[in-house]
Amino acid sequence: MAKTTFRIGGVHPDDAKVSRGCAIEVLPLPQTVYISMAQHLGAPAKPVVAVGDSVKAGQLIAEAGGFISANVHSSVSGKVKSIAPRKDIAGNNVLHVEITVEGDEWAEGIDLSDTLVTEIPGDRAAILDRIKACGVVGLGGATFPTHVKLNPAPGSVAECLIINGAECEPYLTSDFRIMLERPKEIVVGAAIMKKVLGDCRCVIGIEENKPEAIESMSKAVAELGYPGIEVLSLKKKYPQGGEKQLIDAVMRRQVKSGGLPISVGAVVQNVATSLAVYEAVQKNKPLVTNVMTITGDCLPVEKQHNYQFRIGMPLSYIAEYAGGVPEGAAKIISGGPMMGRAVANMDACTVKGSSSLLYLSEGATKRSEPGNCIRCGRCADACPMGLEPFFLFKLAKVGDMDQLEANAVQDCISCGCCQFSCPAFLPLLDQINIAKGQVLGILKARAAAAKAAAEAAKK
Amino acid sequence: MDKYLVSPNPHVHAAVSSDSLMRDVIIALLPAIVVSVVFYGWSELLVLAVGALSCVLLEYVIARWLMKDLHLFSGSSALVTGLLLSMNLPSTTPWWVVFIGAIVAIGVAKMSFGGLGQNVFNPAITGRVFLLVSFPTYLTHWEIPGGLWGADAVTGATPLGAIKEGLMQGGTVQDIMAANGYSYGQMLFANLGGSAGEISAIALLLGFVYLLVRRVIKPHITLSIWATVFVFAGIMWLINPARFTDPVFNLLTGGMILGSCFMATDYVTSPMSDKGGIIFGVGIGLIAMLIRYFGSYPEGVSFAILIMNAAVPLINRFCHQKKFGRA
Ligand code: SF4
Ligand code: SF4
Repeated sequence: MAKTTFRIGGVHPDDAKVSRGCAIEVLPLPQTVYISMAQHLGAPAKPVVAVGDSVKAGQLIAEAGGFISANVHSSVSGKVKSIAPRKDIAGNNVLHVEITVEGDEWAEGIDLSDTLVTEIPGDRAAILDRIKACGVVGLGGATFPTHVKLNPAPGSVAECLIINGAECEPYLTSDFRIMLERPKEIVVGAAIMKKVLGDCRCVIGIEENKPEAIESMSKAVAELGYPGIEVLSLKKKYPQGGEKQLIDAVMRRQVKSGGLPISVGAVVQNVATSLAVYEAVQKNKPLVTNVMTITGDCLPVEKQHNYQFRIGMPLSYIAEYAGGVPEGAAKIISGGPMMGRAVANMDACTVKGSSSLLYLSEGATKRSEPGNCIRCGRCADACPMGLEPFFLFKLAKVGDMDQLEANAVQDCISCGCCQFSCPAFLPLLDQINIAKGQVLGILKARAAAAKAAAEAAKK
Repeated sequence: MDKYLVSPNPHVHAAVSSDSLMRDVIIALLPAIVVSVVFYGWSELLVLAVGALSCVLLEYVIARWLMKDLHLFSGSSALVTGLLLSMNLPSTTPWWVVFIGAIVAIGVAKMSFGGLGQNVFNPAITGRVFLLVSFPTYLTHWEIPGGLWGADAVTGATPLGAIKEGLMQGGTVQDIMAANGYSYGQMLFANLGGSAGEISAIALLLGFVYLLVRRVIKPHITLSIWATVFVFAGIMWLINPARFTDPVFNLLTGGMILGSCFMATDYVTSPMSDKGGIIFGVGIGLIAMLIRYFGSYPEGVSFAILIMNAAVPLINRFCHQKKFGRA
């Protein structure tokens, strides 16, 4: 199969997928879980349980708090001990439901068996309802509510459903493992979403550094025999898994600045999301488990793992179970080394989108002293959005909002390619992120003002 | 928790730094340096050493005591400037002339603009052009290498200089070439008069390929210079081969290879975008050939690069990378 990739920029960080050989293990339950009400993009969920209530695993404990929001379910059986703010990984206070674990009893109607269900329900609306009810969100990073994405505004047509199996971040192997261990479930999930979108084409994109995954997924596609699903091998390049980049790689179409994927006929869902959709629709199982990688350059291979975790498990509990934070760790990251977030608080708990505990040594992660920009243009060559980071950096430092907007700082996807590549070690993305926030704020205010003016004119 | 770092993404960095890039440039220059030292001997080594050491020293002194900010000192970059300056000078250049060149390169062209990354003109070329204008006698006559084969070294003109002179005296290109016994083989493998950076095209090209392979530079600028020189010289040569030297001769002689591979590709003084690089290269090729054919100096690459250096801010204004999802 012809190998393809996105057309602008990109970098080749060291793969470091040391944990690729680690089969998924199920983590034992802790004594207490703390389930965040804000583990998706959009409004936080509203708790529907009270302190003292008994809950079962898979039972709804919080309802979506708006159109863009998602239901949250208990990941364990036990008693609600408190509903109170608690610090998340960045140290911000977020409402959490604390549940003391008692046994492991699941709510009625959830099928926990391994039997593969390939028959897809006929009713599109019913499928969407199930996905919504089960609190499925995108697990590729953005945690955007899946039912919203699968239900594009009237008038827009999905031409291609892209299943993202790129896993372009170094170190992470959780997607790789599920493609190896649960390929059929993923394909059924893809077939379900394909159907919801009106039977468009479906492409499962996987980077060529994961030949076993390509083979496993191709086999599952062939054996299940759903029409119109194909596996596409992609050249390895970061950030292939970025939504816009993946669409460009697969469809050779570029989503316009500020536009949504559906504007070019694309819908992108991650392989883990596809698995969650399968479990929701075919097994009635809400999204309360996911797979994460325990890895890092200072963690010996035999201590690396892929764990199936339940949401609300304290990171410290998981780290402890895996043998403790390694000696040489200088930074603990949730997510990959390019886009992940530094963990400021190990008491924080897993959320639906958790993907890793990554331990990096000082040698791998310490920032070098920044020097002068030598105008080498490497940042611009690396930028997958075709921006000029050296210039945005300068503009951001002086705070020239008009020029920042004109030079498209708002298009930045915070992929980190620029800063990764800069030989002068300039903190390009740090500055660009601040400026991007400010410009997005200005754009939002402007749009709101325009809307208000339009409405005033109507009256 | 306090003992762990908390900073935003990205959490890793490519194995590349300004110093590692400069180190690669120095490695790329080594073949040509070795060849020139073998051919010219100690005097060449002295020129190289004086150029390199004085550039590094001057940069340090200026950063530390004049600008009072040691962050502005970049030893590796100053070393590259020093080597390039020396490679543009004949091995017979007195040490104090080399030193003056270094003062102009580092003091005037680089540090007075604010140091690394801030200068508009290529420091090494600025130094060389200053010397060419101020001390023409030292810079236009060369010792022709011969020592290695036991023959005595003789001084004379470079091929470009010889042809310019010959043409002014009414000769034809063919006659002058034949009289001097120039051949392409010599130009490629070092046997003609010139500065260190001019004598061996092969050694320089080896370095150029190294820089490409290591992805230190991109080929756009260099290739567009070559293409322009080839096409322009080709047309003129076809029109009148007695008056105009042929394209291959123009690519292989003088500072063309050194200039196109190592000087025009200097990050700081070349355009940021690929498109800009091509415009820059075409400009250099054209100006260099116009000077060679019609100017009073036999060689024009240095002037061409300086002139195009001045155009870089303008080029950068109009040439941008293609943005994703924007027309
Ligand atoms: S972080 Fe933003 S500016 Fe930097 S490379 Fe990525 S998209 Fe471009
Ligand atoms: S990569 Fe760094 S040094 Fe190079 S142009 Fe960009 S900001 Fe300047």
